[in-house]
Amino acid sequence: MNSQAFDRLIKALLDGDQSVAVAEAVDLRNAGVDNEQIIIGGIETAMGKLEAKCTVEQFNLLEIMLAGRAVTGVIKALYPDGPPPATRETVALASLEGDVHDLGKNIVKTVLLAKGYRVVDCGKDCPLETLIDKAEREGARTICISGLITSIMPLVRQVLPMLQIRGLTGIKVLAGGAALKQASANSLNVHYVADSVFDCVRYLEESTGQAPVQSQ
Amino acid sequence: MPILTIKIPGKDRHLTFIAGRSVRDILDETDIRVRAGCNGEGACGMCRIRIAGGDAGEPTVNETISLDVGALSQGVRLACQVKTDCDLQIEIINPAPTSSWRRMEEGWVEDFSQGGPPVADADLSHPLGVAIDLGTTHISITMLDLLTGRRLAGRRGLNPQSCSGTDVLTRLMSTESEGRAAKLSSQVVQAIGEGLHDIGSREGIDLRRVSHVVLVGNTAMLTLLSGHNYNLLLQPSYWSRTIDCLPRETAPWIGAWRINPEAAVDVVPPLAGFVGSDLLSGVVSTRLIERGRGALLLDFGTNSEVALWDGDTLWVTSAAGGPAFEGCGMSCGMPADSGAIFRVHELSEEVGISFEVVGGADPHGLCGTGMVDLLACLIKSGTLNKKGQFAQSVPAFGFPLQLEGRTIVLSKKDVDTFQRAKAAIGVAVKVLLAKAGMGYNELKRICIGGIFGQYLDITNAMEIGLLPSIPGIVETSGNTALAGCEAVLISSERKEQLQEVMRRAVIINLSDCADFESLFLEHLYLMPISGNKGHD
Ligand code: B12
Ligand code: FES
Repeated sequence: MNSQAFDRLIKALLDGDQSVAVAEAVDLRNAGVDNEQIIIGGIETAMGKLEAKCTVEQFNLLEIMLAGRAVTGVIKALYPDGPPPATRETVALASLEGDVHDLGKNIVKTVLLAKGYRVVDCGKDCPLETLIDKAEREGARTICISGLITSIMPLVRQVLPMLQIRGLTGIKVLAGGAALKQASANSLNVHYVADSVFDCVRYLEESTGQAPVQSQ
Repeated sequence: MPILTIKIPGKDRHLTFIAGRSVRDILDETDIRVRAGCNGEGACGMCRIRIAGGDAGEPTVNETISLDVGALSQGVRLACQVKTDCDLQIEIINPAPTSSWRRMEEGWVEDFSQGGPPVADADLSHPLGVAIDLGTTHISITMLDLLTGRRLAGRRGLNPQSCSGTDVLTRLMSTESEGRAAKLSSQVVQAIGEGLHDIGSREGIDLRRVSHVVLVGNTAMLTLLSGHNYNLLLQPSYWSRTIDCLPRETAPWIGAWRINPEAAVDVVPPLAGFVGSDLLSGVVSTRLIERGRGALLLDFGTNSEVALWDGDTLWVTSAAGGPAFEGCGMSCGMPADSGAIFRVHELSEEVGISFEVVGGADPHGLCGTGMVDLLACLIKSGTLNKKGQFAQSVPAFGFPLQLEGRTIVLSKKDVDTFQRAKAAIGVAVKVLLAKAGMGYNELKRICIGGIFGQYLDITNAMEIGLLPSIPGIVETSGNTALAGCEAVLISSERKEQLQEVMRRAVIINLSDCADFESLFLEHLYLMPISGNKGHD
């Protein structure tokens, strides 16, 4: 019975139907399913399907944004008092100074949050120093940069040297977004260039070798 | 040295080349160039060739992104990515247009002619004026009789800088390589010279009669022309600020154009980083600020500009939606050149597709307005929904359009690209209305500039929400920028109006808009924007 309810939740998430998704999630919880199970069985499963669709380009921007909203809505409904406790590492996320595009960054944020990462959102048009300060202060293990304009490339190349100067050699740098994903990691001087959000998640899981920490 | 053979029916060409150069670079030095839209980075996917023989090496990553497996297996490659040191035989699939200057056939916005008989051409003292609209993709030139206001000739050609990037940022960035900036400037000066020469020689007009030239353009093009401050445009802090991009000296241009050595050359300064004098002169030519509150000017392009007059202030913004309106960035798209489908009248299983092609040529793809019609038809028939999703019956690779002798495919990604461009404009209009405290229902005029407007089916545009659904108020105004430039050339009163426009203008930066994301999402839908709905 629950499995049908989960199917309905997954469908609503993929359809980007926020109100139905929230209603289904609330029903599940009222039926005694705990939040964590709803996240794993509902949201994470939906994300898996989303990934498959995105890789074959069967999902357009509108569908991705709607699905993102539905996911955010469900998480808010399940955790009305604030975001759920993070179960994975901290990731700092930004669009760099000179780039005011933040739609892509926000999508990455939604997915990472839903996957249990702790996300430090440094916003758009973010100066390098601010990003690195925050990453250090918040103990980020990875910095994710979203780039939508090609003119941002020179700045992206400076992130790693800046981290080195500051002695923060343990932080990994990852780039993504329409303007960066065509470039190679080498030419951008970053550890990895992710083709999609899901590629980014895969990299995070592999590079830190960190399985989700079991929360109580 | 290795030899590159270009297969052209009846007359193959053989070029020797230095090993390791890209095929695009080799071709660029000849008259048989391949079309290109980026700086040879493998990003635009336009420079398609087919390898007919020889070893072209493995495709690069960018080639595998731009070309599908089917094409690759048939030997299709990107000329800018293919570098070899052995003999190679190729066919050019996507050639660059050869003759770049064309007569302008568009309807004129305004006629300044005060009548009177044409003055004998021999009279060198009879002054002529030239108006130039320097666009990112096109350059438009008209020549006018300064005494009678009569328009003598018009030409439209391609901006040769496109090969260094179709979008402004890529083009601006290309100046970072040594000597490039000077090259870009001289390319445009030269192109204008060719356009003028075409007028002079084909219309039999002595160019030495030209005593006054007025030029408008977007800020990026003006900086690249004058060679000043183009680097500032790469810094976002300048996008809403004034940028000095007036030429220091115009004597070399005058020399290159072979006009009267005493001629005055006026470049109309832009308002700010991304609000060019092309928009300002469009406001002048449409008399936007003369006729009361509620007039909207839309100039569709890669970087669409929008201006709204509320009776007191001219609210101005620019929305970079990408080149979809120019038919670029979509697998089935092409610029509104010969062979582009610019109108789709009907699409049904019984009748098939009925359409119109630019220049009456064989259809090769869809330009922006053809795309608008096609999307509207597909939505009407239920083949596509407002979210941009195809019906179940449509194959996964997209909607195939059977044309005479060939099939082109509208992919979901193409639709997505168009949706984004549309959404950017939609947000711009909505944000300006909000700034002016107005609702859609208070709009009295919607003026659409550019050839995009000329070809656009207004009903279909409203059907998919490209324009707010307010029938009867849309004016397709042709090249408003050029018309305004002519007005400034001819009339001192209109020249003063230009100053007034500048004084009344307030620039709005869309990235400062807090609810951009939800507005953008709202406008991604392919559905009508209700004209009556006031702003919330
Ligand atoms: C919306 C938009 C704007 C809005 C931005 C508002 C905002 N809050 O974001 C506004 C109107 C303000 C704007 C302004 C400008 N824009 Co703009 N804009 C766009 C537009 C239409 C959509 C971009 C977008 O949001 N895409 C959606 C995202 C979600 O897609 P995506 O990046 O592919 O992201 C996906 C993946 O890549 C991935 N991803 C994204 N980020 C990351 C990060 C990581 C780490 C990972 C793993 C994955 C990942 O996840 C996403 C989901 O799948 C595009 C055109 C287009 N058709 O795409 C132009 C475009 C990006 N803009 C462009 C330009 C030039 C500008 C301006 C400079 C122009 C101007 N005249 O002022 C300005 C200033 C920009 C600046 N300072 O940064 C150009 C860039 C050209 C280039 N070669 O660099 C584009 C491509 C349009 C064009 N062809 O001319 N723009
Ligand atoms: S892809 Fe070759 S020139 Fe753009």
